[in-house]
Amino acid sequence: MKLSIFTLIALILGQSRIIAAEAGMPQLNPEYWLSQSFWLVIVFIALYVLIAKFFIPKIKLSIGDRERKIKDDLDEANKLKKISEDKIAEYEKLILENKNKLIKISNDTKKKLDLDIQKKRKAIETQIQNELDKAQIEINNLKKESLTSIEQVAEDIASKVVEDLTNEKINQSSVKAIVSSTSKKRIGSLL
Amino acid sequence: MAANPMVQFNVYRIGPEIKFGNIDLSFTNASLFMLISASIITVFLYFSTKNKRLIPSKIQLISELLYNFVAKMISDTAGTKAKPYFPFIFSLFVFILVCNMVGMLPYSFTVTSHIIVTLVMALFIFIAVTIIGFLKHGLKYLSIFVPSGVPVVLLPLITIIEIISYLSRPVSLSVRLFANMMAGHTMLKVFGGFVISLGLVGGWLPLSFSVALTGLEILVAFLQAYVFAILTCIYLNDALNLHH
Repeated sequence: MKLSIFTLIALILGQSRIIAAEAGMPQLNPEYWLSQSFWLVIVFIALYVLIAKFFIPKIKLSIGDRERKIKDDLDEANKLKKISEDKIAEYEKLILENKNKLIKISNDTKKKLDLDIQKKRKAIETQIQNELDKAQIEINNLKKESLTSIEQVAEDIASKVVEDLTNEKINQSSVKAIVSSTSKKRIGSLL
Repeated sequence: MAANPMVQFNVYRIGPEIKFGNIDLSFTNASLFMLISASIITVFLYFSTKNKRLIPSKIQLISELLYNFVAKMISDTAGTKAKPYFPFIFSLFVFILVCNMVGMLPYSFTVTSHIIVTLVMALFIFIAVTIIGFLKHGLKYLSIFVPSGVPVVLLPLITIIEIISYLSRPVSLSVRLFANMMAGHTMLKVFGGFVISLGLVGGWLPLSFSVALTGLEILVAFLQAYVFAILTCIYLNDALNLHH
């Protein structure tokens, strides 16, 4: 069995030598097959070791570094973005708070001023009223006083006129009563 | 000049013959271009990772774009569990890409246009993925051959098809890359030959084809590296996340 396989291979090799010679295909000439395989293995192993041990780790490192750098930068940018957004929110909150505070202050001031104005007005009004009352009383007093003095003058004049006319002393009290009733009738309506 | 468009794929020894018994491990032009490609990658990665800057320089940006491109490819197809295999997929993708691109330079040699090179890579992936599958899931990994929701009658047939498709993964993976590279470069060479043979009179048409094909081949060079890497991811996904 083994022998027959070997003969077959030998036959194929022999045949291929003939084919190679006939068709001119150097690829089928087994003369340098072993040499080519040997050198291929040597060269390829050397290349593989160089690539696997030196070059690929280097390229990998370079690409990895770049990806890491990009990722770090993106993270940093996101972080900064978040910070700035927080700041903006804080700023807007501050503005809103201050706006409310301002409105409150304005309202309070308005109210206070209103109150103040009202108070002052009231005080002034009361004062004016007092002054008016006082003046009224004074006027009334003056009126009363003047009435009394008018009655006195009228009594005096009346008694003097009657005395001069009649040459008689008249009862002072009756004169007073007459003047009083007359003045009440005439001047009283004026008071 | 080499009229034969296949001459560009010739492998020849450079320097002394290195032999261990019957095994010839001599340094060849294929080995040289593997070394050149690996050196280009190393120098590029060295300068692109030398100054680690927060705002990347242009060269640093390229390596980071490459890193993210492969990382996204893996996470999209194989999920987070495939993270430990990232350096391998990255190396694989970059190595195939640079080998393909170096092969686009005139007078250079395309390492990936040799079936043995792509087969070694595909076989290594196939075996590694199978081992990972059995290590992660034990014998339950065999359930990858038995899709769920299949009628019982069809199950034996489907299972056989699944096994065949699983076993043909290294073949399809390696042949896809090898054939694309070889066909593209052969075609370029053929059209280049036409330019020479038709001369100043009729050479303009194949020349314009040649220019267009060069653009196409650069696209193919990138695409095949991408396909190789993404298929590796998909196989890895099958081994890591066992569900059907």
